[in-house]
Amino acid sequence: MRTVGKSVIRKEAWDKVSGTARYTHDFQFTELLYAKMVTSPFGHAKIISIDTSEAKKMPGVRGVLTGEGLPLIGEAIKDRPPLAFGKVRYHGEPVVIVVADTPALAKKAADKVKIQYEQLPVVNSPAQAFQKGAPLVHEQLGKYKKDEDSYPVPGTNIATHLKIRKGDLTNFWKDVEFTVEGRYSFNPSDHVAMETRCSIAEITREGRILITTSSQAPFMAKRLISQYFNEPEGNIEVHTPLVGGAYGGKASVQLEVLAYLSSKAVGGRPVKLWNSREEDMITSPCHIGLDAKIKFGADRNGKIRAAEILFLWDGGAYSDKAIDLTRAGATDCTGPYGIENVWCDSFCMYTNHPYPAPFRGFSHSELSFAIERTMNLLAEKLKMDPLELRRINAIRPGDLTPTQVKLNKSNVGDLPACITKLKELIKWEEGEVVPVNDRIVKVKGISCSWKTSTIDTNAPSGAILTFNRDGTINLMSGVIEIGTGTKTVLAQILAERLKMDVNHIYVRMEVDTQTTPEHWKTVASRGTFMGGKAVLEAADDVIRQLKDIAACVLRAPIEDLEVADSRVFLRDDPEQGVHFKEICYGYTYPNGNAIGGQIIGRGNYILRGLTHLDPENGKGKPGPEWTVTAHGVEVEFDRKDLTYKLLRAVSVIDIGKVLNEKAAKGQVMGAMSMGLAFAGRETFVMDELGRILNPQLRTYRPLRYGEQPEYMVDFIETPQLDAPYGARGVGEHGLLGMPAALANALSKAIGVPIYHLPLTPELLWRTREGLLR
Amino acid sequence: MISFDFDYLTPTTMQEAAELFQRLDQEGKSPYYYSGGTELITLGRLNMAYSEAVIDLKNIPECHAHGLSGDFLVQGSALSLTAAEVANFFPFLTSVASQVADHTARGKITIGGNICAAIFYREAVLPYLLVDSTVIIAGNKGITAKKMSDAFKEKIQLKKGEFLVQLLTERKWLNAPFIHIKRRQQWQTGYPLITIAALQAEDGLRVGLSGLCPFPFRSAAVEAALNKKEFNREEKIREALKAMPSPILDDVEGSKEYRLFALRNLLEEILNWQEGGFKLENT
Repeated sequence: MRTVGKSVIRKEAWDKVSGTARYTHDFQFTELLYAKMVTSPFGHAKIISIDTSEAKKMPGVRGVLTGEGLPLIGEAIKDRPPLAFGKVRYHGEPVVIVVADTPALAKKAADKVKIQYEQLPVVNSPAQAFQKGAPLVHEQLGKYKKDEDSYPVPGTNIATHLKIRKGDLTNFWKDVEFTVEGRYSFNPSDHVAMETRCSIAEITREGRILITTSSQAPFMAKRLISQYFNEPEGNIEVHTPLVGGAYGGKASVQLEVLAYLSSKAVGGRPVKLWNSREEDMITSPCHIGLDAKIKFGADRNGKIRAAEILFLWDGGAYSDKAIDLTRAGATDCTGPYGIENVWCDSFCMYTNHPYPAPFRGFSHSELSFAIERTMNLLAEKLKMDPLELRRINAIRPGDLTPTQVKLNKSNVGDLPACITKLKELIKWEEGEVVPVNDRIVKVKGISCSWKTSTIDTNAPSGAILTFNRDGTINLMSGVIEIGTGTKTVLAQILAERLKMDVNHIYVRMEVDTQTTPEHWKTVASRGTFMGGKAVLEAADDVIRQLKDIAACVLRAPIEDLEVADSRVFLRDDPEQGVHFKEICYGYTYPNGNAIGGQIIGRGNYILRGLTHLDPENGKGKPGPEWTVTAHGVEVEFDRKDLTYKLLRAVSVIDIGKVLNEKAAKGQVMGAMSMGLAFAGRETFVMDELGRILNPQLRTYRPLRYGEQPEYMVDFIETPQLDAPYGARGVGEHGLLGMPAALANALSKAIGVPIYHLPLTPELLWRTREGLLR
Repeated sequence: MISFDFDYLTPTTMQEAAELFQRLDQEGKSPYYYSGGTELITLGRLNMAYSEAVIDLKNIPECHAHGLSGDFLVQGSALSLTAAEVANFFPFLTSVASQVADHTARGKITIGGNICAAIFYREAVLPYLLVDSTVIIAGNKGITAKKMSDAFKEKIQLKKGEFLVQLLTERKWLNAPFIHIKRRQQWQTGYPLITIAALQAEDGLRVGLSGLCPFPFRSAAVEAALNKKEFNREEKIREALKAMPSPILDDVEGSKEYRLFALRNLLEEILNWQEGGFKLENT
């Protein structure tokens, strides 16, 4: 391998580290207007009146929008007014938008809007939402338009219900000798991407809708705006420059719609809508919360025979992506274990909380917290080593997943190998608890996880290659550069296939939906897999065209030709050949005659063999492959005041094939850092009115430099045979087991099982003292 | 973003500043003394601070004084926390100040600004409270000097138009044994769950707290309990806990009950430090 596997520096690195890289909010021009939202101060309230008269009177205010007359929108169920109408359903929900000449004026005018509310009873948790007689978040649930795969239950707060029914349902607990059960919960939280979301929209005199947006899904924004407002798709052009971190939060389409409506309200003038940090945390979609109940039954050897699982996902006020999150949670509900009998009910519950976007790991770190805590409860009950319990139950080729996909050597990684490696790295033989002195102990916790990507069964990716006259290549892919370096990895894949220098490949960082071939969405760790497949096909297309023309020039049959180092040459006599630059824009004979012409490579990929899930038992193929992981965390714990320091965190991931070592390790470490922050500190604190009390970085604190542990990342390479060079997804997986591993360590440390997040010293104290609220 | 417009004024004398304030107040401009500016920015964007005329005190030489003079350390109110940390005349202050906010913010936040802050932690006041520094205050009627114990009751007691100019600390206190522990909700970032600062004086232990109540304080009753010779450790702590003012905070950083658990442990740490001969391990 010449390029694949090497730590090629990402192609936008210098722009980023020097601060010159441009993100959506960096685009300014003179005719731009600015929008400011007025948002709900309550979790659930009737809107009695909206008075915008004072705001409208202010000079420089160009438009004021309210929710009246707007269509209902939403991805799976059309349950969401773009601006609240009639009532507000979450704290932070946009109610009014003011458009003005300057950002300051827009804010001033927004402050003048007077809204009268009458508070309604608040649905403050998924478990409360599930109770009979709970207040309804959506009274008209039965009347909403929805897609086929959503199963809302009118008259309740259930937005969808996914069922997994696998194995012997009549003798479900037949071989079980030991059972354990746990109830788990945590609140919604946030992604906290460095760049807050921003969208600019304009409608030209010809009716073209031009949008620039910080998004993982510009192609989806195009489709949804077309669908929501009956605009021809071809009229809509969405641009996405570099994106400053996304983590799933920018896969939801929200500000694009509001910016479009704002522009429409001011005669099509360009309007920018840029989230403040507070708005980005609670007005725009957040990270999902969960209430779960898990029951495992095992035989005396530690083999888990049956699992009964209830997930109540916190779908928030509007279902949007929560429907898919609920489905993803169901498909991999057991964690990476081969269990014959599985009964899982995964409900998406409406609550009066901000609604969720995807979050790195797409339900898997969340479900893994519940599953992996239960695994440790079982290990304790069986008096078995928790790693050994996981090894015994590790899902393997030949096993059936919860949705009854038969696994083979290619579509699942090697979990036992991950466990063996983890055991060595975390020095498991030292013991789980090692006293330092009478007060301080070092404690280790471990976990495993897995993930497939439950994306649309027909999700496409495309790539186009063009040449520069010097023989270098331009690579266009719809993958968004959200900070993962994926576009550089695509260049590596191309360089490898063409056996050329990766520095001679230029990657277009910006995506525009009119000229860039579609990549469904840059989500689900699918950029390298799907984008890479498309690039490989485009590379083969280019090779074929290059050889066609070189065959004429060299007067040799195509099968004798070889491509490498930006040349096409005779295999048996490499000196006889032509450089790309002589043929990529056609070959010109000495007398001026020309043949061939500009070479344009094209490639595409569509996922194969995926199916919808059976609504009665969940049977179906949700994703192409499962990446498996094993994790460990070691803390230094103070037994007196219950504080702790993160010492080490380990992730071992079966990545299939390492394409760019440092990039892969960076992705895994970044994900681990997010996972530890989610585990240890990040949460929305809610009051009884459903208000979020900490929507600011001064009170909502991600992991800061100096708080991080030593990170250890290692890979197992079990190739996925149909993936580019065998590589599996890796963008999310470092996160998956972190909350569970930390919770397992701390449960051991306090000697009492922990069922909630985040794992603050106060939670440890409350758990130990039996004072949980 | 701050949506209100304001005039920015840069007086160069104390008198000019005080006069400006009075005039602007009469004009209804809600004048605002300004030094580092961090609160005006962070609260202004939330409409929790408002002014049409900001009076920057940084150009007044007295507000920048910094050094030893006779028996005193003189520190101007407009010194940044970083400047105080770097010069390190008063290690107790350095210890407390270096845990406020973050490195970037500390380059802007001033000693005076932190002591007079609207956000109620005001941790920089703790060392000055414990050694009872002298506070120089300027206003329309000239300059007054007060002991910190008189000038600070939950917050700085300034009349309208007055501002903090300097803090004078007796030299003898600069190297007194101290301990300072900032306990947060989690790890090393964030507001205090509780910040405790203690100093050993000839007449006994002095203790100040921030984050326990919605104001920083030093309490004679708490100190009396901790210094009572007849008490054993457990009694000292029990009586000190009883003597704490109210209300005990119950907020996003931690509940009231948990704060009391943490406080008990912190008091123990202070007594350990005292019994162990003031060895400074953990600040």
